[in-house]
Amino acid sequence: MRTVTTKQTNGRPERLSPEELAALMRPATAKSLEEKREAVRRATSGLRIKVRVTPSMYGRR
Amino acid sequence: MTPVRGRQPATRGVYAIEDPALLLPDPIALDTSFVVEALIATQPLHAACAGFLARIVETGVSVVSSELLPVELAEAAFAIALKERWGGQWRRHRTDGRARRRGGRLLTDTLSRYETLLSSIDHFPVPLGRATGLATTLMTDYGIASYDAVHAASAIIAGAEAIVTKDTGFALLPASRLMLYTDRSRLASCRTKRQH
Repeated sequence: MRTVTTKQTNGRPERLSPEELAALMRPATAKSLEEKREAVRRATSGLRIKVRVTPSMYGRR
Repeated sequence: MTPVRGRQPATRGVYAIEDPALLLPDPIALDTSFVVEALIATQPLHAACAGFLARIVETGVSVVSSELLPVELAEAAFAIALKERWGGQWRRHRTDGRARRRGGRLLTDTLSRYETLLSSIDHFPVPLGRATGLATTLMTDYGIASYDAVHAASAIIAGAEAIVTKDTGFALLPASRLMLYTDRSRLASCRTKRQH
């Protein structure tokens, strides 16, 4: 008989269960595709700085 | 069309975000390095990363991120303020309070943009406490750096098959663990680094 095992790390299942994932989910508040496009446009437009951000500036090597 | 001669290069699970034919898994994980490029218009990869975010919205896939991401954005905001004031010597002036006002404004702006971005996408923020166990395993098994390990672990435990990043350190993970979506200029170095 075939058995299905769940991969574990330190005794916990590696992946979140569907119930855990559902509890984490934050749905988009923008509803229409047009609203979503506009939100991405606003998020990604207009923030200009005088220096270049390198990985070491947020703690990476 | 002229046929391509010889063997095609192995992808090793590393793909270019500029490729219009690239399929997006659902969910897909975002790394801080990608979000920084997308949010800040003066970054060199801004166009490619902002364009990929637009594709995420168009395709309707959900995203996974670690709770570490906004903390790294805050770190970047204050480092930007220090670097604007002190240039290459900014690390030596970390405690300079004069940069904090500018850092605070940048932080507010950056986090507000991040929230605006998330308002357009179904999102799974993975708690740090849930990711640390797997993160330490990934560090031990593959030699991946700690922050990268937290982002990778968050992606894996939430079921994301790929992470969008410009950090080649993720290539230490085998393709069976996580596919890498990165910019075209990093494809070769990621594929070379990825042994599995």
